[in-house]
Amino acid sequence: MDKEKILYLTALELAKAIREQKVTSEEAVTAVFENIDEHECNLHAYLSFWREEALDLARKCDEMVRESQDISALPPLLGVPVAVKDNLLLCGKKTTCGSKMLEEYISPFSATCVEKLQSAGAVIIGKTNMDEFGMGASTEHSYFGATRHPMDPERVPGGSSGGSAAAVAYGAAFASLGTDTGGSIRQPASFLGLVGLRPTYGSVSRHGLVAFASSMDVCGPITRGTSDAAMLFNIVNGRDPKDQTSISAPKVDISEIENYSVKGKRIGVPKQLKNEGSSGKVLREAMAFFTENGATVEEIDMPVLDFSVAIYYILSSAEASANLSRYDGIRYGYRASDVADVSELYTKTRSEGFGKEVKRRILLGNYVLSSEHFNDCFRQAERARDMVKTAFSGAFSRYDLLLSPVSPGPAPLLGEIDKDPLSSYIADLCTVPASLAGIPAISIPFGKDEKTGLPVGIQLMGPAFSEQEILGASRFLEKRSGFYTGKEKGVEA
Amino acid sequence: MGRSREEELERIARLSGLQLSEEEKEILFSDLSRIVPYMERICALDTSSAKRPPLSEAELRPDEAEGSTLAEEILKQAPQADDGMFTVPKIV
Repeated sequence: MDKEKILYLTALELAKAIREQKVTSEEAVTAVFENIDEHECNLHAYLSFWREEALDLARKCDEMVRESQDISALPPLLGVPVAVKDNLLLCGKKTTCGSKMLEEYISPFSATCVEKLQSAGAVIIGKTNMDEFGMGASTEHSYFGATRHPMDPERVPGGSSGGSAAAVAYGAAFASLGTDTGGSIRQPASFLGLVGLRPTYGSVSRHGLVAFASSMDVCGPITRGTSDAAMLFNIVNGRDPKDQTSISAPKVDISEIENYSVKGKRIGVPKQLKNEGSSGKVLREAMAFFTENGATVEEIDMPVLDFSVAIYYILSSAEASANLSRYDGIRYGYRASDVADVSELYTKTRSEGFGKEVKRRILLGNYVLSSEHFNDCFRQAERARDMVKTAFSGAFSRYDLLLSPVSPGPAPLLGEIDKDPLSSYIADLCTVPASLAGIPAISIPFGKDEKTGLPVGIQLMGPAFSEQEILGASRFLEKRSGFYTGKEKGVEA
Repeated sequence: MGRSREEELERIARLSGLQLSEEEKEILFSDLSRIVPYMERICALDTSSAKRPPLSEAELRPDEAEGSTLAEEILKQAPQADDGMFTVPKIV
């Protein structure tokens, strides 16, 4: 198989081709690194990668295939090159979180989801760039420099999992793991024409995921197609004794996804999440698509969602300011020099180690947690979050799925987001509700911005543990929408 | 931004263990002067009907002592460590 054809297979197609010895893992890893050699210097999707180690592992995978008596018993992602976001620990490798604070930090153990990916046979080839500690929506807030949009390098790839998305989009990995607190998987997936799944909170262990806002952090896949997302979700999910909040989640039946139909389904479109921009147009097209295919599509009023950005930023910043208090220059991470005492060590370390956006969130978090504002802001936001959860429970008693845009429009230009942080927070309006409610949500490519020609995704949300349903609907949509990434490159869906 | 809020943010920065340069103060305080009022919109929301959804019971693992072999690896990550302990500047 020639290099171009290999590079744009989905992860599942590649895994099958490797098992059937139509292509070797070594060829796939080589093709990926040739691509990295050519484009990485302009796109900067990775913070670290390891070529020789990956090739060695790939050759071992190929040997396993050659010696196998029963290829159906081989691990599902055997030999497939994948990337993981740099806030997920991989034993012996750096985990920087895009921060100067952790520039030299070597993971002493692996995250549970990373271990599961390795057990599934994946060849992890590198760690991807991200907004510092996951705070940002453009990957420009990385201490190590921005990642660029592979289809238009003057634009951002979204964030905070921008590196994970860019790597998959430009053929530098076949799938990746990102993390999503307020939309960090779904928004870059939307900008890059990929599938991004935020699983139900707790269904994937957070052990080894560097904490941002612990009540909302979730790890999930960014892939070229829905079936890949389902496969990666099945691999990484499950109860983990090392994460108290993890839950035994049902596995997705991937063959059932193929048979899913939206006919007879009831789909709600929250009025508060609609907009007039290019994603509003794509939403209208998606609504028409579902109606034409036999679903009932209705607008639904969920007034509390008008407050979701405020609720999200109050609670996530409060949690972040508490979580980031551990970076004090004593136990691990950056330590400032030339200090007189411990107090100065804390202050100087934190002032030199954290970037601007992280400082902004710490200030906001400690503001809402301060005694003067605790009841009016923090407690009020907690109560409002309960109202969001209740509003979703009510909606799901009437609808199978909720449909919304992901982001107001296509990927912004570099530097645009930083000009107005409040507007960039407000742009998270459609992704933060699912984060507050802990429900699964998926971003699927469904259109293009007329002006730029760049991809625009739509979002499907379902009740907790409804991954089977949202992945089914996503697959139904992608098979018929013509935005399946592989198909554009001449590969059959 | 009002003087009192700026003073408040100065105090919060200090309590957060952050020493901000004049340039950082100008940018961050100006951003926060727009961000904070937006967040405070939720004060207007009537939350009297809010109900805490029932929490699912946490799954606990058996309370069994397990050895850890990570101490040495973790200490390797410390900026300064000595004899199995983290080293800090003189406190008293």
